[in-house]
Amino acid sequence: MILLKKLYNWIDDRLGMREIINEKRSGYLLPSNVNAWYSLGSVLLVIFALQVMTGLLLMLYYVPDVDKAFSSVAFIMNDIPLGRLVRLFHAVGSSLMIVVLVLHMLSILFMGSYKSPRELHWLTGFVLLLMAMGISLTGYLLPWNQLSFWATTVATDGIGTIPVVGPYLVELLRGGKMVGFKTLGRFYTLHVGLLPAGITILIGVHLFLIQRTGVSTPPFGLEDTSNPWKEEKFKYEDHPGGIPFFPNFFLQDLISISLYLACFLALVFFAPNLFLPATANLPANPYVTPAHIKPEWYFLANYQTLKLFPSEIIGLIVQVLAIACVALLPFIDRGAEKHPLKRPFFTITALGCILLWIGMTVWGYYS
Amino acid sequence: MHPALDRYDGLGILLMRGWSLSLLLLAVIMLSQAQADAAGVAVVNCISCHTVLSGRLGTPVKLWNSSIHAEHGITCNACHGGDPADSANAMSPARGFRGKPAATAVPALCGGCHMGVLKHYNESAHGRALAVGGPTCITCHGSHAVVSASIELINRKNCSKCHSYTKARKIKNAMLKTEGMLKAIDKKIAVLKVQGVDTDKLEKRLFALRNRFHAMYHSLDVKLIVQESDHIQAELKKTSGIGGVGTGPLVGALAIAWALLAAFIFYLIRKNLD
Repeated sequence: MILLKKLYNWIDDRLGMREIINEKRSGYLLPSNVNAWYSLGSVLLVIFALQVMTGLLLMLYYVPDVDKAFSSVAFIMNDIPLGRLVRLFHAVGSSLMIVVLVLHMLSILFMGSYKSPRELHWLTGFVLLLMAMGISLTGYLLPWNQLSFWATTVATDGIGTIPVVGPYLVELLRGGKMVGFKTLGRFYTLHVGLLPAGITILIGVHLFLIQRTGVSTPPFGLEDTSNPWKEEKFKYEDHPGGIPFFPNFFLQDLISISLYLACFLALVFFAPNLFLPATANLPANPYVTPAHIKPEWYFLANYQTLKLFPSEIIGLIVQVLAIACVALLPFIDRGAEKHPLKRPFFTITALGCILLWIGMTVWGYYS
Repeated sequence: MHPALDRYDGLGILLMRGWSLSLLLLAVIMLSQAQADAAGVAVVNCISCHTVLSGRLGTPVKLWNSSIHAEHGITCNACHGGDPADSANAMSPARGFRGKPAATAVPALCGGCHMGVLKHYNESAHGRALAVGGPTCITCHGSHAVVSASIELINRKNCSKCHSYTKARKIKNAMLKTEGMLKAIDKKIAVLKVQGVDTDKLEKRLFALRNRFHAMYHSLDVKLIVQESDHIQAELKKTSGIGGVGTGPLVGALAIAWALLAAFIFYLIRKNLD
């Protein structure tokens, strides 16, 4: 203990650690009406850290070669102690990362936290969602099984519908006309190199933005629920009389993280086949197309939209418009009101869009 | 027109028809070869040509398609000889083409691959009766639609072709339990396989045991079959114990309970702070 204290003092003398901790305990105050939804950001940080850790462990044995990828994953699952668990953590974690990201964005959406001056927070968060989908898509192919091979074929086919450049983009992504060894190489590079680095940088930017502007006040339990920022110059939104981040809200973070882990472990131990169905355990065969091939669940709505319209270009335009609307929401919705019940048009429209997305996903799954 | 010329014209039409048919045949062959090439499968000209033929020249391919040999890529030349890669000389004796083997040559021919079975067969009453028209491999397994050895092959219809079913029934009863175990393990392997379990070693072990067991079908020695069945059943019991990887449900339940307990403890601490 004495040795640890000496080490702590040594670091403190050089970096002023006590000052940071004291500042976080008393200086960094959150709104007094802050709720559990605000802890989803911390849950996402834990998920990303878990993905990185399990990904690094998988990289120790995974071989990114079409002839060896499947057998190396089978080796991890069957011969490495706790290898199956690590693989399941990674596979289930990637899907749950999307789920929690969507929940995080929905909470921001309904609490109006994207409103000025937090447009950039929303934009970086939205790009993070796209990158998370990208990292999941690229990782999906790596085990080189029937499901991943054909789901990737279907998912990349969708890009081909973009007029003029679509076919070139598909070829660029696949490295050829078909999904093959070049696709595996490209997806591997994106999955373990470019995308994790990009996500890490963007998380840093996102956190920096939150630190600079301060945490937004939730619109619940207050009389005035309008946006306090009135197109002024930069101003940090402080919360005098609020609750300290450490230890009070940090404990809420820990509660949410523990509850997330309970759900995550329940899926890993008791419903792993939800994310690894039978076709995920058969080696990829370009000559045998399994019945009912679908992309991953978070692309099902896009997949179904493309199928729904008589022309794929119309389907694509509709999707691009929808994505643009969501991405540019802070610039479209300029109203000051943040409470969802005091802006019924927005709330009903948003709920309708969410139901439509869920409906299209379910339709895509059963179609 | 001179009758000879008329005859010539008739011949010409026949030739034209022949050429058209040949061209069509060639196109079909080229297409099937292209498909085989695309699929990375070695081109077997016997199948390419005989597929499009009718009658006794085409039927064997149709029958073969449903056989255990087709399933394992054992093609015509394995039994009939010849060169499947060279359509012009495919049926040349110089390339080892032997045509339809004589009935007495069948056991030795099949035994070229199924060596253990041949030994049991030769020592059995079936094998000893070969010279006087006794049953050969194809009597029970078929010639082109070859079926693998299974307990179902021992039945009244098959056995009564030559003798009474009494002894055959005894043999079948002695083997039923082992056959049931083999099938159950086969099903279990299929389930494990789609769960991501590496069943390669398990499959190879089962394959060896099944072959050892099925080879005995041909000995017709009830005592030996009962004795060997007991040995194989003991081996299968060891095999059926294998399967399932990772941690059990108890570990999962404990991990979830740990996470929920942690959440509760953090909640209590926070409540205390408030």
